[in-house]
Amino acid sequence: MVSLQSIKAIDDRTLEEFGFGWHTDSDTTKYIANELVVLSDAEAEAYYEAVNELYDMYARAAQHVIDNNLFFDLGIPFNLIEPIKKSWENDVHWHLYGRFDLAGGIGGAPIKLIEFNADTPTSLFETAILQWALLKHNGMDEERQFNNVYEAISDNFRRLVTLFDDPEEFEKHYDGWKILFSSISGNIEEEQTVRLLQQMAIDAGFETGFEPLGGVKFDDEGIYDSSEEPYEYWFKLYPWEDIAIEEPELATQLTTIMQNQKAIILNPAYTLLFQSKGMMKILCDLFPDSPYLLKTSFVPLTGVQQVEKRMFGREGANVRIMDVSGSVIEANDGPYGNFKPIYQEYVEFPKDLQGNSYQAGVFFAYEACGLGFRRGGKILNNMSKFVGHVLR
Amino acid sequence: MKHFTSAKHIMMGTMGIVVLSALSGCQSAPEEQASGQTEGQNKFLVVEQLSSGKYVIVEEMPTEGPSRAIIKETDENGTVHERVMSEAEMKELADQEYKKMEEGKSELNAEPQGEGMGLAGTILAAAGGALLGNMIGNALMNNKNVQRHQDASNRSAYHRSAAGGASTATSNTQKKSFFGNSASKSTASSSSFGG
Repeated sequence: MVSLQSIKAIDDRTLEEFGFGWHTDSDTTKYIANELVVLSDAEAEAYYEAVNELYDMYARAAQHVIDNNLFFDLGIPFNLIEPIKKSWENDVHWHLYGRFDLAGGIGGAPIKLIEFNADTPTSLFETAILQWALLKHNGMDEERQFNNVYEAISDNFRRLVTLFDDPEEFEKHYDGWKILFSSISGNIEEEQTVRLLQQMAIDAGFETGFEPLGGVKFDDEGIYDSSEEPYEYWFKLYPWEDIAIEEPELATQLTTIMQNQKAIILNPAYTLLFQSKGMMKILCDLFPDSPYLLKTSFVPLTGVQQVEKRMFGREGANVRIMDVSGSVIEANDGPYGNFKPIYQEYVEFPKDLQGNSYQAGVFFAYEACGLGFRRGGKILNNMSKFVGHVLR
Repeated sequence: MKHFTSAKHIMMGTMGIVVLSALSGCQSAPEEQASGQTEGQNKFLVVEQLSSGKYVIVEEMPTEGPSRAIIKETDENGTVHERVMSEAEMKELADQEYKKMEEGKSELNAEPQGEGMGLAGTILAAAGGALLGNMIGNALMNNKNVQRHQDASNRSAYHRSAAGGASTATSNTQKKSFFGNSASKSTASSSSFGG
């Protein structure tokens, strides 16, 4: 059972003042819960350990996919195979951050991997800033939250330069390289997520710029903002698979830019391997005894309740839950039906007294660095609510 | 063995300051760091007491609203207390310290002895121009000992960062843009692919 603590909400105007404009969902309900999930230090520690181990498993599985040429099995578009391999070969293509979605972890339920949002994770502002602001607003102790996201990602920006060395060495090695940040125009959540990352990079010591995706310019020599200022790094909150499918000429252009070593793209192309839900089948093959994995297959499982998902589905779209006999219990439509399916053993999310389900989202930036929750029904979708947490 | 880390470091980051400023009722959040720092601009400070009892600036941001400071002090039991100091209180402290300086009795008259200062000196050195006016701000800016104190006792990125030099745009080759169809979404509240 999920235990909750009621708290005083922060009013919309104050939220907007610090950049959080998406406080109300399209059905006019509030997106941020007036409650916090209460959990123990041991439970937070278990999430931390699980995610660190899962990331190591993903890294080993990615090597396995590349060594055995399993890109097709994972639904990877052919025009991204080269940039995936290129980015994997060289550590300068540093993975900035990702978010693991997990079931369990509360009240004794074992932690199970639902998926890894490795390429373009959101919920960043909510986890890194907002739930901490809720503690401050309610006069609660900020030590009692598993949340080091801001500092961890700032440090990971420094590692773009220092790599495996101490990020404190950044200033010694930094030579004015600039990061350009981009999101699509007109979506406040995505723009503010990117602007938050930009602020983390500024705090880390980088020179930065912001340019909406449509204003970014490319040629074989690099990546530029609309004033044709060149940048050494480009962070795009835009999925790699959408670049491959909707902007194939750009995929080719980015491959050339990488080959010419003119710019580094974040998150790196290899995060699309992590993002593919097909990786969870590879993980099951490689780590059959891992306590964190749900049985996952490219064909329907037999004799178990299961969930059908699409390789690159997002936010609960194109998800179907099926009972033991294969009948559909619950289903969400969506735009991802053209991607290949995977089948994952079903697991119940922890629930509160009202029967709402809770999915843990743990951010990873070099190590597990912060926890937040999504609350909703059996399938967590775009209308689910964000719930912060406090350690008891 | 490593363990998870708590949220206690967030207020060291710029966004932490922006949030604290909004929560403390400041009318407008601090602006993003501007390259041309104006001396008289109002400041939002986070001041922390060291174990020595002296104070240092851990964060500093320009703000369009009134100046204010969050003071973090540790009592004899090791408990950290936070309080918000208004512009009027900051002004009073800065004014007292400036008078002491004129009489040659302030620690700002001498070279710094390690990190940290008294609270009034800390506030005067960091925000004297904003609180007491540009003339005093300029006098402080030109005072070597005050600047040495600032360097020794101001840990904020704002103080440490020098404005980056502008580099020139290069080449006149044909560059291409993309995302003609997909780069704009009209949805305001929902993420199209956040996952």
